[in-house]
Amino acid sequence: MKLEAKNVNFFYGDFHALKDINMQIDSNSVTAFIGPSGCGKSTFLRLFNRMNDLIDDTHLEGECLVGDQNIYDKSVSVDELRTTVGMVFQKPNPFPKSIFENVAYGLRVNGVKDKKIITETVEKSLKQAALWEEVKDKLKKSAFELSGGQQQRLCIARALAISPSVLLMDEPASALDPISTSKIEELIFELKHNYTVVIVTHNMQQAARVSDKTGFFMLGELIEFNDTKKIFLNPDKEQTQNYITGRFG
Amino acid sequence: MFNKKRNRFGETLVEWTLRLSGGTTTLVIVLISIFLFTEGWGLFKSSTVEKGYVLCVNRSNKIQNLTPKQVKEIFDGNITSWKQVGGDDIPIEPLRMDDIASQYTEEEIGANFEHLPQKLSEAIAAKPGALAFFPEQFININFLGRVLPAETITLKEYFGGKEWFPTATPAAQFGVLPLILGTLWVSIAAILIALPFGMAVAIYLAEIANNRVRKILKPLIELLAGIPSVVYGFFGLIVIVPLIRSIFHLPVGETALAGAIVLAIMALPTIITVAEDAMRTTPLAMKESSLALGATHWQTIYRVVIPYASSGIMAAIVLGIGRAIGETMAVLMVTGNAAVIPHTLTEPVRTIPATIAAELGESAMGSVQYQALFMLGAILFVLTLGISIWAEIIRKEPKVQ
Repeated sequence: MKLEAKNVNFFYGDFHALKDINMQIDSNSVTAFIGPSGCGKSTFLRLFNRMNDLIDDTHLEGECLVGDQNIYDKSVSVDELRTTVGMVFQKPNPFPKSIFENVAYGLRVNGVKDKKIITETVEKSLKQAALWEEVKDKLKKSAFELSGGQQQRLCIARALAISPSVLLMDEPASALDPISTSKIEELIFELKHNYTVVIVTHNMQQAARVSDKTGFFMLGELIEFNDTKKIFLNPDKEQTQNYITGRFG
Repeated sequence: MFNKKRNRFGETLVEWTLRLSGGTTTLVIVLISIFLFTEGWGLFKSSTVEKGYVLCVNRSNKIQNLTPKQVKEIFDGNITSWKQVGGDDIPIEPLRMDDIASQYTEEEIGANFEHLPQKLSEAIAAKPGALAFFPEQFININFLGRVLPAETITLKEYFGGKEWFPTATPAAQFGVLPLILGTLWVSIAAILIALPFGMAVAIYLAEIANNRVRKILKPLIELLAGIPSVVYGFFGLIVIVPLIRSIFHLPVGETALAGAIVLAIMALPTIITVAEDAMRTTPLAMKESSLALGATHWQTIYRVVIPYASSGIMAAIVLGIGRAIGETMAVLMVTGNAAVIPHTLTEPVRTIPATIAAELGESAMGSVQYQALFMLGAILFVLTLGISIWAEIIRKEPKVQ
């Protein structure tokens, strides 16, 4: 499913956090957002599953489209939107439940009661997240017993279990060691076949490795959005050049 | 190198002052508990027969001793034959001093009761079934009856006894079962009433109310914890007691239910504050991920927030029970204070702290009643200590299912 932002402006109170952003994200691709801290890339990402609704005193101008639907339209059910647009957060944050129940959570809250479907989906999602082999013998154990990298893959499995079309990832590997990070990157690469993946990252090598397209944000503006290769090898804007070569940021 | 000594006299002084004050406080608390137990323990070494009095039987009577319970039953007329307490099949004739003295004229007894010992002795000797209760001083050297040994109260009688008559003569009854049960009834009923309301308010404050409402409401609720209990008791007496009387058509409204309602109101601030604090420790990220999976706000509350805060919520309940068990004044004012084992919530009950408060002022220092009340204090101490430890253990449990 493709994503689109049309003339998006976003405000935290009086603070103008996103300035007139236009972007089209293709389906079944990986898009990376890079930029210095506070540039608005996470805010922009969170617009697509309406996570910013939870923050008091914010407002949006412009349109965010998932597929062809403006998701800020009054007729849109937020709960339903979030089953289509899944999200993985920066820190692994499993629920205080068993490994199995963590993955089954999304199914249960969406009204799935059939035990067979739940068991099958949990297994499938854990396999997709490359965690199945490590946890298949301890599904009943608490999710807190897993390592940080395993917990993050569990959170990905949890997001995949409700079979979304879009997966938003907010710095999914920033709290992890290099080995866990590479596992997650492989995973993102795999996910591309079935999902539209958008990833926010501070790690430019990561953006270069996993993404097809990269957007560079600075001070609430989308400076440049282009093929990843072009961004990293021959960017159009000087600011992009400076940022990716480490001259600032 | 490294040999320059700084003058640390001030630091040492402060350190020792802190150590000393910590030590003293601990010592005082330990001494208070020891005092409680030593004062209370005397109960099991003293006779329940009134001080200075004796119980006597006819010499032909084979009975060796009578428990306080049996003595009371005999004088109440519930036990009428010695056979029932292990003796011969002779009807018991309970005799108080007045019963004997009234059979004789004033001349026979003498102006200064100088002939009374003789007459008492004769009266007991004449009646094989006699059980006499009179002051020790009236026993002379050629006493024809037999003095029963003074029986002390046993642990079993104390904890299993169903009757609390601390000033009854000839034998006071110290069965704490009605008091313990009364305390538990009122406390548990109070928690059952307080829990739904407390949880509702805690969830509202932690998850639903906006910041402005929470900033006003939370200090207000915490303020409720500071209102003196006698004020709650007064409120209960004026409002709740008449209400219960008219709703249940009772002769009196002072019942366990009234106590439970007042205690529930008093336990609410504790339950709300502790539970709300626990719920608010749920990481925002965890709630966000639940919502991001398509869960509604309410699903997030009961599937993520409440399980995450479960140990804190349990601690809130236990602390609420602790608050209820130790509460004295409000309960004393509204429960009716009848020391009987309750069967329904609409009966009067009496709790342990209310008993201590009501009776300690009237009991002579060092008397059996005084010791029994101290023992009650010790029971209460153990109960609340146990509950506090329990709450601590729950609170420290890892937040994992």
